[in-house]
Order: sequence, then C-alpha cells, then structure tokens
Amino acid sequence: MKIPYERRKSLYGYGFISVWLIGTLLWFLVPLIESICYCFMDNDQLRPQSGGMRKVWLAFSDGEWLANFKHAFTVDPEFKQALLSVLKDTALTTPMILIFSLFIAVILNQKFKGRGFARAIFFLPVIIATGPVYNIISGNMSTTGADSGAQFSTLFQTDIVDELLQFLGVMNISDHLTEIINTVVTNIFGLVWSSGIQILIFLAALQNIPVSAKEAASMEGATAWEYFWKITLPYVSPMILANFIYTVIDSFTKTDNAVMLRVLALKKDMDYAHMAAMTWSYFAIVMIFVGIVAVIVNKYIFYEND
Amino acid sequence: MDTEQKSAETAVQPEEELRSAEAYIPESAKPVVHEEHTVGNGMTKREAMKIRMRSMNKQELLYLRKKRLAENCWPVFRFLILFGLGFVILTPLIFMISYGFRERRDMNDPTIMWIPRHLTLEVMKQTIRSMGLNNAKNNPLINTLVLNIGCSMCQVVTCALTGYGFARFKFKGKKLLFGVVVLMILVPPQIISIPLYNTFRYFLFGSVNLIDSFLVMYLPAMTANGIRAGLMIFIFRQFFRGLPKELEDAAYLDGCGPFKTFLKVMVPNAASSFLTVFLFSIVWYWNDYFTSSVFFNNTTTIAIQLKNLDTTLLTTIFGNANAQVSVREKIVWLEAGCLISITPMLILYACLQKHFTEGIERSGLVG
Repeated sequence: MKIPYERRKSLYGYGFISVWLIGTLLWFLVPLIESICYCFMDNDQLRPQSGGMRKVWLAFSDGEWLANFKHAFTVDPEFKQALLSVLKDTALTTPMILIFSLFIAVILNQKFKGRGFARAIFFLPVIIATGPVYNIISGNMSTTGADSGAQFSTLFQTDIVDELLQFLGVMNISDHLTEIINTVVTNIFGLVWSSGIQILIFLAALQNIPVSAKEAASMEGATAWEYFWKITLPYVSPMILANFIYTVIDSFTKTDNAVMLRVLALKKDMDYAHMAAMTWSYFAIVMIFVGIVAVIVNKYIFYEND
Repeated sequence: MDTEQKSAETAVQPEEELRSAEAYIPESAKPVVHEEHTVGNGMTKREAMKIRMRSMNKQELLYLRKKRLAENCWPVFRFLILFGLGFVILTPLIFMISYGFRERRDMNDPTIMWIPRHLTLEVMKQTIRSMGLNNAKNNPLINTLVLNIGCSMCQVVTCALTGYGFARFKFKGKKLLFGVVVLMILVPPQIISIPLYNTFRYFLFGSVNLIDSFLVMYLPAMTANGIRAGLMIFIFRQFFRGLPKELEDAAYLDGCGPFKTFLKVMVPNAASSFLTVFLFSIVWYWNDYFTSSVFFNNTTTIAIQLKNLDTTLLTTIFGNANAQVSVREKIVWLEAGCLISITPMLILYACLQKHFTEGIERSGLVG
C-alpha cells in the first residue's frame, strides 16, 4: 500500500509532535480543564479529607454556581486590593521597562571599548533575577539601607529627585505625576533588574537592522535623533510588542506579587475552589488587558515583509 | 610598519566625516578642494583637516564643531550611564560578598558599611551546614544537579523535536495545536498546580504516589512540558523556520527519511541554538522554586533550602526554633546562602557568556 507523499509528510509531522502532544494532554490540558471545573465546585467539600477530594458541583447542590467568584471579589479581605495594586504596578512599570531596555540596548549596540564587559554585566540579572535569591537580596538591602535608591539619596545628602522636580516646576503641576516619577526613580533597582531579557531581545532586533538602511540614513545626513525615530524604532517595533507581552506575563506570574502571595496563602489553607476562581479571574483580567494593548500596538507596528 | 598602517587608517576617517558633512550642505556651497591636497598623501589627520577647513564657509565650520562636540561628549555620558547602572546591578553581588564573610556583631556596628571589620569563614560553614549541603543523604546540591542536567537535556531534545514538527510539516489542526503552545507560555503554573499535584499523587488511578520522587520533574520534561517548555518550543520553531529548506530537500533526494534528516542535517546546524536553550533551561531549573516546592515535601533543592533558610537557620545554628535573632543579624547568613546558591550559575555564566548573549540572536527569536 502506498500513502501519498503529502499524507505521509503530515503523518511525520504528527510523529514529531506526538511526544509533546501526550505530555500536554497529561500535564497541561487535563489539569487546566480540571482547574476550571474547580471554580464551580463547593469549596468545603473540595478540601482534601481522609477519602480524597469530594467534587460537588455548586450548580447542582445549592444553585449558586458563581459562589466562588463572588467570594473572591466580595468576601475575600485581600484579593481586591492585591489585584488593584498589581494591575497598577504592572501598568506603571511595563512602559518604563520597555523604554529603559530599548535605551540600554541602543547604547550597548554602539561600538566602544569594554562593550563585551558592559553587556555581560547587563545580562547578569537574566541569570539571577528569576530565583528566590532576588527577593532575599532586595529585602535585605532595604533593611540595611543599602538599596540603590537609598544609596543615591545618601550620596547626594538630599532627595535629589524632589529637588530636580521642584527646579523643573513639575512638582506642583500634579501630585499624581510627582508620585509616579518618584516611585520609578526609587525603584531603579527593580527596573534594572527586571529588564535583562528585554535588553537581550531588543539588542538582537537592533543587530538585524539592514546595513543598507543605516547607509541610506547617513548619506542623507540624518542626525542620531532622526535616525532613532525613523530607522531604529520602526525596525524594532515588532519586538516592542513581543517584549511588552513578555514583561506583562513575567510580572504577573512572579511569585512575590500581591495576588500570587494571596493565592499561595489560600493554597496553604486548602481553599482550592476559592483559589481556582481567584487565579482564573486574575488570568482573565490580565489577558483582556494584554489583548487590548496588543491590538492597539499592532496597528503601529512596521513589518518589513508585508 | 605598524604606525604607517595606523596613520593610513586614521586618514580615512576625516574623509568620511567630510563626506557626511557635504551631504548636509547644498550643492552650490560645496568646497573646492584642490586635487593635490587630498587626504592620503602621508599627511596626518590634523594636517589634512586644516587644509580642508581653510576652504570652508561658516556654516560648514559650525556643523563640524557641533558634530565634534557631540562626538566628544557622548562617550562621557555613555560611560556615566553604564557605570551607574552597572553599579546598581553589581551592588547585590558586592553586598553578598561583603555581608557573607563577616561576623554577626559587625551588623550592629554603625560605622561598618561595606568593609567588614571581623572577617570570618564561620558564617559560610554554618550556612552550608544549615542548608544541608554536607548531608550524605538527600543532599540538595546533588538533587538539584541531577534534576537540573537531566531535565534540561530531556527538555531540549523533546522541545527541539516538537519545534521542528511545527516548523516544517503541514498537518490538520496545526494552528490549533500551536495555539496550545502559546497557551502554555501564557498560563501561569500556579493555575494548574493543584490538579497536577493530584495527578502525581494518585498516578495510574491511585496506585503510585509520585510526590517527592524525581519523576515529577522528569516526566513533564521528557514530554516537552517542563518549566517554560512553551517558550522553548517557540524558540526552536522560529529557529528551524529560519533555516533554508534546500538543506532538507537535498537530504530527502538522497533518500533520508524525515527523522534521519532531522538528526543528520538539522541538529548539526542547530548546535549553537541547542546550547543556548540548554543553558537557559539549566538556569530556569536551578532558580525554580515554585514547581519544586509544590511537588517536593522532603526532597530538597538549593532553591527550596535557600527560601527556607530563614527558619532552618534558627534550629540548626541556635538550637531551637524560638531563638531570638534580630532581622539585621540574620542577614549575614541569608547573604551567605545567596552567595552559595548563585556561585555555580555565575561560574557557568562567566565561562559561557557568549552563548547566553549571542544565542538568542542566532536562535532567530527575532524575525
């Protein structure tokens, strides 16, 4: 029997992904669906008892099938505040990380002595920042007053940011703006430490800018400023979206953010149904947020091939 | 000989500078340069420049001056920026070294900031004992290494296979299945942790309890579902898509089947990308706290021990769990623990830095 070439090739395709397919069914899709089911089950019955977990659907027992979600948003004492603070933090730091990492990537892409060394230092956070080490360090450093923000202010014997803002006259325009600028500056440590991968990705994108574009720009006498806006930014723009998504996902799955801490606390109490409802609503909110921004940003992206 | 070459090189530079300057000026204002004075006749850069400047008008001179000012100032600013931020990145490391080797009484001395007065190795030794690194059984270091290297290898191989399947073959439901890969990247592991725990606790319909065995890490890794597997599949797919199709076509014509082609043609071409993904996988497994803390009760890894150091410290060094040690003094041991747990990664990074940083470009994540 002879199988046509196309059919055979598609069968080989299944062959290549079969290992992954089995694994995904077992370790990803089934648990995923199960955890969705948990959202609609009775919390007290779901708690592991001597006979394992008893799965009782809320819809069949007392009719209030959204009780777990209701609990998360109305009864739970910490969830709403945690959610708001995480969303606010992410909305604030994500653009900062993007701008900062693009800036650093542009600098690290220039030719100068010791560039390799500088790159090695800036990618160091990639190795360390994903682990528990980072939390311990940042906690300890603020206890001893050795974190970078505090270091800088003791260095200059004054709150230099406030002075600068006062000088520029921004201070009195809006308290909110001042607050934002202040949090960003004092958190320069977190900013630098969480943009390792982003710098790496931007740098790779920068090196993919064709030489011809560079030459054309210099022939036309473009200044560095014009070059950045007319050449660099359009070429890097697809990676801005990728980096944006990466940054958001990274910051909202961090085990030390407020929502995740609350979730882990619930897990310790074995409130599994409440926990599932909480994580799923959190996930849904973040995904909607990412989706909206991705659609908006996608309009301004320049794709070379299309 | 050497100096001659150098002067020839430097002589080219002003030429370029001037060319870009000329491009800025309208055609009518261009300077008339006598042919015999052109750069390259053994003149230094400065001499050549002087001759050129003589025949320039005000506008041109202003442009050159501005340009030179910018070119001289920028490196200074660049150095300041990089130095400052590099300092921010390196402070924690200096901090660790400074705090990990001092006695605890130094913590209460306000005159000591960075340089300890009483240097000691005792804290390091106590920390090693407290993290159980000298245990004969259930040694966290050996556990971590076995998990790390084994899982990373399995994961790289299976993710490469999957990535290749998605990159080169057409089959029904490919888009949907790739959607699942993207979902794997997006869904945080916290969401599926409890059902997954149950799967492992009551494995094969409740007949086997896999909790605390290495299989909880190995099984997902062997089926391309380990830590950040989605991202790795994605990277491999992008990479294989970037390789020229002619490579495989040649192999097919010579009678190789797809699997043989993959082994003999694609893998050697992808060697550097394999190494990069492998290195990242090692780092992620090394740093992983969440997954291992969910599935391990008694099996210890470095990350778990480090996270628990805060409490184990009291029982192992001070004898009882209720010992009163001030938060400030504890830092000495915590920092020593941090230093111990990142040192292997730092060494790895120092040796293979190029593969970490250049691999991502080559792996074709971009484009």
